[in-house]
Amino acid sequence: MKKILDWLDERTGWRKVKEVLLDRHIPRGVNGWYTLGSVTLFLFSIQVVTGILLAMHYSPSPDHAYDSVRYLSGEVPMGRWIRALHKWGATGMVVAVTLHLLRVFFMGAYKYPREVTWLTGVGLFCLVIGFGFTGYLLPWDQKAYWATTVGAHMVDQVPFLGSSLAKIMKGSQELGAVTLARFYAIHVLVFPALILFLIGLHLFLVVWHGISAPPEKLGEEEGRAPDWKSRLQQRYRDLKAQGLSFFPYIIFKDIVAVTLVFLALSLVAYFRPAELEDLANPTDTTYNPRPEWYFLSVFQLLKYFPGSLESFAIVLLPLIAFGLLFGLPFLDRGPKRHPLERPFWTLAGVAAIVGLIVLTVLGARAPLTNPEVKTDPLIGEGKRLFQEFHCEYCHRLEGHGGTVGPALDNVGMRRNREWLADHFRDPKKVTAGSKMPNFRLLDGEVEALVAYMSSLGGGTFTAQAPRLYEDNCATCHKFHGVGEEVGPDLSHIGQYRDAAYIASYIKDPGPLNKDAAMQGFADQLTPQQIQDLANYLYQQGK
Amino acid sequence: MCPTDKKSNEPENPSRRRFLAGFISFLGGLIALTMGGGGAVYFLSPAWRGRKENWVEAGPVADLPEGQPVKKEFIQRSMDGWVTSESRGTVWLLRDKGSLTAFNPHCTHLGCPYRWDPDKNLFLCPCHNGVYDKSGRVVSGPPPRPLDHYPLRVDNGIISILPQEAEA
Repeated sequence: MKKILDWLDERTGWRKVKEVLLDRHIPRGVNGWYTLGSVTLFLFSIQVVTGILLAMHYSPSPDHAYDSVRYLSGEVPMGRWIRALHKWGATGMVVAVTLHLLRVFFMGAYKYPREVTWLTGVGLFCLVIGFGFTGYLLPWDQKAYWATTVGAHMVDQVPFLGSSLAKIMKGSQELGAVTLARFYAIHVLVFPALILFLIGLHLFLVVWHGISAPPEKLGEEEGRAPDWKSRLQQRYRDLKAQGLSFFPYIIFKDIVAVTLVFLALSLVAYFRPAELEDLANPTDTTYNPRPEWYFLSVFQLLKYFPGSLESFAIVLLPLIAFGLLFGLPFLDRGPKRHPLERPFWTLAGVAAIVGLIVLTVLGARAPLTNPEVKTDPLIGEGKRLFQEFHCEYCHRLEGHGGTVGPALDNVGMRRNREWLADHFRDPKKVTAGSKMPNFRLLDGEVEALVAYMSSLGGGTFTAQAPRLYEDNCATCHKFHGVGEEVGPDLSHIGQYRDAAYIASYIKDPGPLNKDAAMQGFADQLTPQQIQDLANYLYQQGK
Repeated sequence: MCPTDKKSNEPENPSRRRFLAGFISFLGGLIALTMGGGGAVYFLSPAWRGRKENWVEAGPVADLPEGQPVKKEFIQRSMDGWVTSESRGTVWLLRDKGSLTAFNPHCTHLGCPYRWDPDKNLFLCPCHNGVYDKSGRVVSGPPPRPLDHYPLRVDNGIISILPQEAEA
């Protein structure tokens, strides 16, 4: 064995490498805060592994992206967990890289001789944000589409170059197939190459200079000493001599932190899987676009800059912010590293953090303009199939379509699910002589079409529904002459709310209307009764 | 200052060093095992995930002549991962003395499409002269085994087949 190792050492010099990397001494006083860099690196490696796995079941084109993401999180074993790990890992990376940056900031570790290390670090921070932005277009759901639309419009606001920049970003005039392929290439090819290069440089510099020692108060005299650079180097050598070797003592702390983070990440990924909203729909006017939480501060900030000042907020503020970040080691120089000896920068840092937190919280709590209607994803799938099979060539729906088959506007009220399922499997079986061809639909397709057809006309209600209304609602609401007028008259509710909205309002009005005097009926009524009541109000209120 | 200075907190204690190193390997191994295990299940799952049966109709039994194989074309909708696709396929159907057989239309030698020669009463493969008789048995040539069958069932006089490649 020793012979093999010797042979390898002669050719690769691994013993020297190991000595430099693992046996190097770390200055005394390095504490738990110093694990943040390792945690970030670990999270990055999780993103690499999960990202590669996700790419095996992903298709970067608008007609397949959504289905492929649904397939990988629904059908591939462990797919749901791996996608959730990637999503939460991204969130974790933003948190870890920010905390790491703050640790370095408050400890003044960006100062001589580590200025370039700081620059590469800020570059890495930008790349992490870039990964987030390019990554969340990829599932091609509503959130993906609208968040990127907003992003593209922000770029569009840049003076002079804006419209060209936005087109370059989108790859064409419209956000679509070219944009998706472009974002995918950047997310999985360009950024990974850049980030690997920067990580390599960053780590090399960390080893080259050694991990910075915790800051010490210098006092006025030493703070002004002309030979502060050589004193600092000497002090660092002393602390390093008193410190422990990187392996195993410092790595031990790192791995404990990393394990805790991994545990938390795995559990969150298991219990809170990544969501997939409805398929991106450029014509939807009821969607509430909301950015990922780490862009909420920018989202909120934009509300304060109306019209002509908008480009100032979009261009100048980020430019100033990142200019300050990159320029920090050149603005704040000298030997003083302790936060209390740099009151200006410490206060500026605290103010920036407080500002970002306040904006993020305000952004997160901003009321939704459109009511949040939870739709059944199967219905959306059914709608797509309806278009794909060109059902409207023969069937009329909402005033459009052929007249070969019956109109479908109220089909949900006329036909139950069993009939519909049999009909889709073999039309001639339930309707002798039917002209509708047998499309040989797959089970999943039948299920989706049945869900969509059942939703048309709001779904059927039972004979109990009017009774339910009288017992529960009539004390406050009037409906076609029945009931009191304490709350709004519901006689025409079906014209402006659909059954799903009505049902979720009956269940709990809170999320839809903060000022609602009505209490939720989730405790008094079963979900079936609530749906029944909602269908009744929707049908009879049109 | 040398490492043995009393202020140095480098404990030259080999057993502590060994313990920490062991602990690092343990935690690192645990993470690698969880991540690697999950990833392996995800990556290797095609090996054990069965495919969904996708029967397709191939016409009424009554249309088949007695004793003469007939080539039938069919269109099959199927899920290919996340893509729904329609594919055309063929099958050789034979009704012979009350029994029905659906032959996989590919020669068992190298997968070429063979044809029925009604004069010779034989299946002939054009690629390497594989020859089978009506029941699919190899008469001459390189094919290693008789023609493969597709599972077949009859509902209300309609033949359904399950066109799938035989597992190797």
